[in-house]
Amino acid sequence: MFGYLFAPYPARSFACLYQGCTNLPPFVNWAHPLGTENSGIDVYSEILHGAPNDLYVGIVATAISVVIGIVVGALAGFRKGASGALLLGITQMFLVLPVLVIILLFARIFILAVASGLGLTLIMLILAFFGWPTIALVARGEILRIRELEFVQASKALGASNSRILFRHIVPNMLSPIIVLASLLVAGNILTEVVISFLGFGDPNTSTWGLLLEEGFGYIRTEWWVSLFPGLAVVFCVLGFNLLGDGLSDALNPRLRE
Amino acid sequence: MPNEILRVEDLHTYFFTEAGVVKAVDGVSFVLNAKEPLGLVGESGSGKSVTAQSILGIVPRPGKVLAGKVVLEGDDLLQKKQSEMRKLRGRKIGVVFQDPNSSLNPLFSIGTQLTDVIKIHFQLTKEQAYDKAVGLLKLVRISEPDARMRQYPHELSGGMRQRVAIARALAGEPEILIADEPTTNLDVTIQAQVLELLKTLQSELDMSLIMITHDMGIIAEMTRKVVVLYAGRVAESASTAAIFESPKHPYTSALLRAVPRLDKRRTLTSIPGNIPNLIEPPSGCRYHPRCAYMTDVCAEKVPPLESLEGGRQVSCHHWKELTLEKELAS
Repeated sequence: MFGYLFAPYPARSFACLYQGCTNLPPFVNWAHPLGTENSGIDVYSEILHGAPNDLYVGIVATAISVVIGIVVGALAGFRKGASGALLLGITQMFLVLPVLVIILLFARIFILAVASGLGLTLIMLILAFFGWPTIALVARGEILRIRELEFVQASKALGASNSRILFRHIVPNMLSPIIVLASLLVAGNILTEVVISFLGFGDPNTSTWGLLLEEGFGYIRTEWWVSLFPGLAVVFCVLGFNLLGDGLSDALNPRLRE
Repeated sequence: MPNEILRVEDLHTYFFTEAGVVKAVDGVSFVLNAKEPLGLVGESGSGKSVTAQSILGIVPRPGKVLAGKVVLEGDDLLQKKQSEMRKLRGRKIGVVFQDPNSSLNPLFSIGTQLTDVIKIHFQLTKEQAYDKAVGLLKLVRISEPDARMRQYPHELSGGMRQRVAIARALAGEPEILIADEPTTNLDVTIQAQVLELLKTLQSELDMSLIMITHDMGIIAEMTRKVVVLYAGRVAESASTAAIFESPKHPYTSALLRAVPRLDKRRTLTSIPGNIPNLIEPPSGCRYHPRCAYMTDVCAEKVPPLESLEGGRQVSCHHWKELTLEKELAS
């Protein structure tokens, strides 16, 4: 995440162009370990610069989605009757929207914002806005399941207050599936960001893996490394988050702790 | 004369479901004496558990207590605010539930769960609460209490978990303990141990006990008074000895005939039919469609709950004419 501080070249720097080091293949010149592309951008540096941006989109968007999702899911779970059904309906409506198309549409509408450097935050917010429905559904299901369990009844019968029941019994028990889901969502958000950039709807002035992938794609037959390495970065990052989610949910389960 | 501690009067608890109004408890009354074990007995769906939930004010939605009184030491609990009830729950009345597998939170250690309840009811430091929790585990005869405090529910056996649940119910030092079928989900050998424990605790701690069960054997073993519920109403209530000696209600007699005996050779009789649909319960006496002594009046009029000598009550049109077999004695 902080690798960019040690990157040999600044972001989107064409410095190498003036040194004549364009189109360098990887593992040839150790000043440019992963090669350079045809306008002289150093692939290794660019991947390092892209990391915090991609993680920012993935993690912050997920955090916002999780908060919205839990709140909506909890309300839908606790409110029986019309308001609960309405919330559930809205959630399901969001779930069937073709999110990618809408994101691309938004990115085009707010093209001015994109151009003025707010593009990444805009994409992040859009992803956050469309990421919460699955979380909400799972949160609702978990609440409906857990609040019928006997230990919730028992703690109520022994004098626990509502907030104690909620934060001591219901929330900890619903966390495990939500953490797994959130880690998948981080991975999914990073992938979506890559797709947006790849389709050319991203911010051309902000380093992201998707942008680099897209830039290399036009020359993939001659300069395969420009696309391959950011692609690998995406793969490892997504895989990492999936494993992290699995690990976290195991670590929080006393049955599997030893 | 034993002192009355809790009186339930004409309790009505209905569940407003989409299929209709389920009259789960429809006019239940009984008196619980201080320091005495009382049995609530009946088939599944007779309203035993809902009665207990109504006493505690924790009837789950869509259920509602519509009418009646639950008088604890002169106060009607049904008139109290939720915040006042919260102080009573666990402190005056403790509860043990049926399933020890799900009545403990799987994510927290035994110690945390016990000290949690202790801290709700008493202002204690961490160390004091811990010591009290260890004391509770000793009270319910758990070996190595210090080690158990650090264990999680899944590391304990079913019987052990139920002991922890009992310890938790006792954490607020309640005067009344409600045990809602505490042994139904346990192995037979463990059942006997847990019942024995409850019996000892009841007399050791001088508590009142409400034992909810469908097992007449447990009633005989554990209680001094019995309330027999049928389809949300009291069929009969009397001292345990009197119920077993001379049941006055045909349903009680039928329940007793369904209990196997080792010392007498006789055929077990099951009660024909099922517990009625409580959305549209049978007219008149609710037991009449299954009753061997049914007459026309049974289907027409609800039999009043008549008081007999010795604090006995029975709700049957024909109890005077009937000489029901002394089933367990004959």
